[in-house]
Amino acid sequence: MDRRTFLKTTAALGAAGVASPRLAAPALAQGAKVLRFVPQANLANFDPIWGTQYVVRNAGALVWDMLYGVDSTLTPQRQMVESEEVTDNGLTWTFRLRDGLRFHDGEPVRAADVVPSLTRWMARDPIGGMIKAIQDELTAVDDRTFRWRLKKPFPKLLYALGKTNAPVAFIMPERIAKTDPFTQISEYVGSGPMRFRRDEWVPGARAAFETFKDYKPREEPSSWLAGGKRMLVDRVEWVIMPDTATASAALQNGEVDWWENPIADLVPLLRKNPNVVVDIADPLGNIGSFRMNHLYPPFDNPKIRQAVLVGMNQEDYMRALVGDDDSLWKPLPGFFTPGTALYSEAGGAMIGKGDIKTAQRLLKEAGYKGEKVVCIVAQDQPITKAEGDITADLLKQIGFEVDFVATDWGTTGTRRASKAPPSQGGWNMFHTWHTGADCINPAGYPAVRANGDKAWFGWPNLPAVEAGIAEWFDAADPAAEKAAIDKTNAAACEGAVYAPTGFFLGYQAWRKNVKGIVKGPLNFTWGVSKA
Amino acid sequence: MLGYIGRRVLATIPVMAVVGLFVFSLLYLSPGDPAAIIAGDQATPEDIERIRASLGLDRPFLVRFGEWAWRILHGDLGISIFTNLPVSTLIGQRVEPTVSLMLVTLVFAIVVAVPLGVLAAWKAGSLIDRLVMGLAVTGFSVPVFVVGYILAYVFALQLGWLPVQGYTPIAQGLWPWLANLILPSVTLGLVYIALIARVTRATMLDVLNQDYVRTARAKGLAQRHVLFVHALKNAAVPIVTVIGIGIALLIGGAVVTETVFAIPGLGRLTVDAILRRDYPVIQGVVLLFSFTYVAVNLAIDLLYTVLDPRIRY
Amino acid sequence: MSATVVPQLDAAPSVAAPLPDVIPPRKARGPVWRFVRRYPTVVAGVIILTVIFLAALLAPSLWTVDPTALAPAKRTRVPSAQFWFGTDMLGRDIYSRVIYGARVSLLVGFAVAILASIGGLAIGLVSGMVRWLDGIVMRVVDGMMSIPPILLAIALMALTRGSVQNVIVAITIAEIPRVARLVRGVVLSLREQPYVEAAVTTGTRMPAIIWRHILPNTMAPMTVQATYICASAMITEAILSFIGAGVPPSVPSWGNIMAEGRALWQVKFFIILFPAIALSLTVLAVNLVGDGLRDALDPRMAKDI
Repeated sequence: MDRRTFLKTTAALGAAGVASPRLAAPALAQGAKVLRFVPQANLANFDPIWGTQYVVRNAGALVWDMLYGVDSTLTPQRQMVESEEVTDNGLTWTFRLRDGLRFHDGEPVRAADVVPSLTRWMARDPIGGMIKAIQDELTAVDDRTFRWRLKKPFPKLLYALGKTNAPVAFIMPERIAKTDPFTQISEYVGSGPMRFRRDEWVPGARAAFETFKDYKPREEPSSWLAGGKRMLVDRVEWVIMPDTATASAALQNGEVDWWENPIADLVPLLRKNPNVVVDIADPLGNIGSFRMNHLYPPFDNPKIRQAVLVGMNQEDYMRALVGDDDSLWKPLPGFFTPGTALYSEAGGAMIGKGDIKTAQRLLKEAGYKGEKVVCIVAQDQPITKAEGDITADLLKQIGFEVDFVATDWGTTGTRRASKAPPSQGGWNMFHTWHTGADCINPAGYPAVRANGDKAWFGWPNLPAVEAGIAEWFDAADPAAEKAAIDKTNAAACEGAVYAPTGFFLGYQAWRKNVKGIVKGPLNFTWGVSKA
Repeated sequence: MLGYIGRRVLATIPVMAVVGLFVFSLLYLSPGDPAAIIAGDQATPEDIERIRASLGLDRPFLVRFGEWAWRILHGDLGISIFTNLPVSTLIGQRVEPTVSLMLVTLVFAIVVAVPLGVLAAWKAGSLIDRLVMGLAVTGFSVPVFVVGYILAYVFALQLGWLPVQGYTPIAQGLWPWLANLILPSVTLGLVYIALIARVTRATMLDVLNQDYVRTARAKGLAQRHVLFVHALKNAAVPIVTVIGIGIALLIGGAVVTETVFAIPGLGRLTVDAILRRDYPVIQGVVLLFSFTYVAVNLAIDLLYTVLDPRIRY
Repeated sequence: MSATVVPQLDAAPSVAAPLPDVIPPRKARGPVWRFVRRYPTVVAGVIILTVIFLAALLAPSLWTVDPTALAPAKRTRVPSAQFWFGTDMLGRDIYSRVIYGARVSLLVGFAVAILASIGGLAIGLVSGMVRWLDGIVMRVVDGMMSIPPILLAIALMALTRGSVQNVIVAITIAEIPRVARLVRGVVLSLREQPYVEAAVTTGTRMPAIIWRHILPNTMAPMTVQATYICASAMITEAILSFIGAGVPPSVPSWGNIMAEGRALWQVKFFIILFPAIALSLTVLAVNLVGDGLRDALDPRMAKDI
């Protein structure tokens, strides 16, 4: 390298430092209302189709709008769409967009933007993938109309378009939506109520959003992703706090206004503060889980898997996750979200009760030969870390030989995808969790599928489970759906698709002078005001 | 002198090449790559492979290293895998907080530690000496985050004098900038104080026994004059040396301090990048650190010529 | 008028009667006491270290329970008669974890100190004695030194899984460059000494030169450096646990007890308090011993470290 390039690099770095007004505050109008929010994780990237982390989806919901949006009863309601029409026995859907919708750069939202947005979304979304498989054509008829022709009816189409689970079907401008679904977008022009201030974004530290004045909210009152998304503040700032204790102190001190996920142990302290309000964050909660590898011993033996499910004590897991507050967790003898229509306890009577004696007996009867259980535990995720500690203890008690691999979430992500034998870079067990919103029904719930090679990591192969799911897809009415799910649940319990460690809720906390915060699967910022 | 500087600058190139190769190899060897994290929870192994291919992570080591080295030589630090922003932008955003933190910490540490070291040397062997040194060493022994939590609790939460967290750019006012930096600097500085005080004391002891000091005293100069004008100037070289060494050590403590006080600095950027395997960021930041280390050492060597006229290059 | 006393020149000088004991004579104290008076801080350091060593050694007999025994129903209890230091977030007894944690922290500290010293010694010797390797080796060492040790340790830990051995290796690699530099410096300055030149001219083989002349002179600064490395390694282990890249939770260490409890420190500060005190005391003790060693061996060394 010659001196010139050397100096150029230095100058580039220096200029980058000087010319980055990232940390400069914007010129705020007098009396501008700023809502400072502490998100659950770092906002490291900003493509809600490419990156499926929840925090990206939450930010995306501020910046992009959707064709439909589910309300608090999980019923899809029209959002950007003015009317829809179903013809040909459910094979043709014709949609008409609302008038006056605009992107943040002033351009109108046209059907020509919707089509590539949906195409990109379908490439990454499981339900979208199912639609794509039966899709005949998806075209823009004119500026405000587009048509979707399918080969088979798909009654859940509107739900798929309006659901909260990532990736969400956000509508982007055509040129941006044409980006390959496996490559990040680099422009963030949105259709939603807030504009993303890219020049103020410091990944890992903060992000800023500014209300888009030309957004046209619907007339109806807002409810989750449905209704009118009226912004009652001028700016929203996301302050990323890597340290929980610091976030708690900042909320108490008034340096932030709203904290997405305070840990349960800190809640009594926050409640004592006269300026802080604490309530449940998402009534749909979360389901903790660990998955066993059905391809290799010892967990290729269903009886051994049963032993684990019988021996595990969900109360232990839940206490480790949410502490002493009993209102925050429920035992979960199944795989579907409590409090929703399809919740089922069929076949789950034996699991999760901590019956070590029976577990030990089952292990012996199954003929366990002492094979080592390679158990992957990510230490940098509090949920998996806590679960991992309990599992290590559980396995020892039942009588397994355990190889506890303490690593990080990134390595877990790579290793769990490997179908190699556990001793050669594979695995026997790893820990994770799912949000309740993702476990309401088998659509968009890959973790409950048991179709062998195509299933989620662990690759369970249980025809009975798949039969039940197929029945649900074809079910004509809610009673048939429930019956199908009961069958699925029982089969999943018996075959141990995965091990549910319990159902748990989380809290959110905010300052008293903030109003309008609702419970839901994400932090709905519309309707939130600050005194 | 210019020749000396030129030679030193040239000598940095192999050093940085070593660093670059080492870090690159390290990342190449590490299991887990960003593709899995990016693919997310719903991903299939095919998705992960596709992302890996689109990031160019499946190419052989030499190809990737060569490409990266070529880009670096043209001043292009690459694009972060996760944020899709140029690495130089990410670094540029975080330079100011880190530099501010280092500067204020340095000033605080020097202002406290040098007088302490001088005091201890002056009263060498006495109770004061032992007490001062003992306190200094204690500052070095308590884990940084514990100190940080305690200070934040007392001064921010309970007394409300200072903010708990965050960073305010200096462009928004001197006091807000300083207010955010006081607690983190004290936290970090305590570690540094022991180091500087110890070296100051030892050097001063050495110097105070020299003939010219005795002459100065015999001439009837005030003790303070003797200490600060004659002795300290001569003790400056080793003190400045230790300050230079300490900067690399400080970065370790800075990672923790930046986490506890939510300062958007380079330490936190690097740790996050390491845990997420954001290779371009890791490589860029480490290169920057090594460059800084080399530059600081060069500056210190040049400072010697100012402090000690006997040193000539 | 006072009479002057004229000494009687021919009188034999008389031996004065012994004075009465107004000031009692000082009892001669033993060498131990003298040592303590001269180096009180070193003695304090040694005592603390001995206590901690013994606690680590005798851990099972010190009224401890299994430090990994979970009891989630009894989590975060305040210190009481049953749980002397309280329980942590999974119901484990903190007292037992702190006592057993001494093992890990001491092991990490001393293992890193010894291994880094050996490694640095080897590299420094090679670099100092073999001139043509010196340039290359020093470039590499400089390069390694320019990477902040914490970040290097974190990166190395990211390569592999969490375990005590990996933590030791990671921190050792990060500390070797400093020792190598130190040894090289000593070797270079000794190489020019007349007695070394004399030994070379009389045909003494290299290993003998190293053994007889070089090594003894490196021992003093290396020993002092080793104590500081020991202290620094213990703190680094705590920081690694803080980041989440340290020893796995199944092995209690002061670092990971603090890391796990840090989110709760405002409500259950005892989780952090006890391991923090233990770590601080130990690191303090090691530093005091190191300072004392340095003062005893060569006070001028203080300028170089």
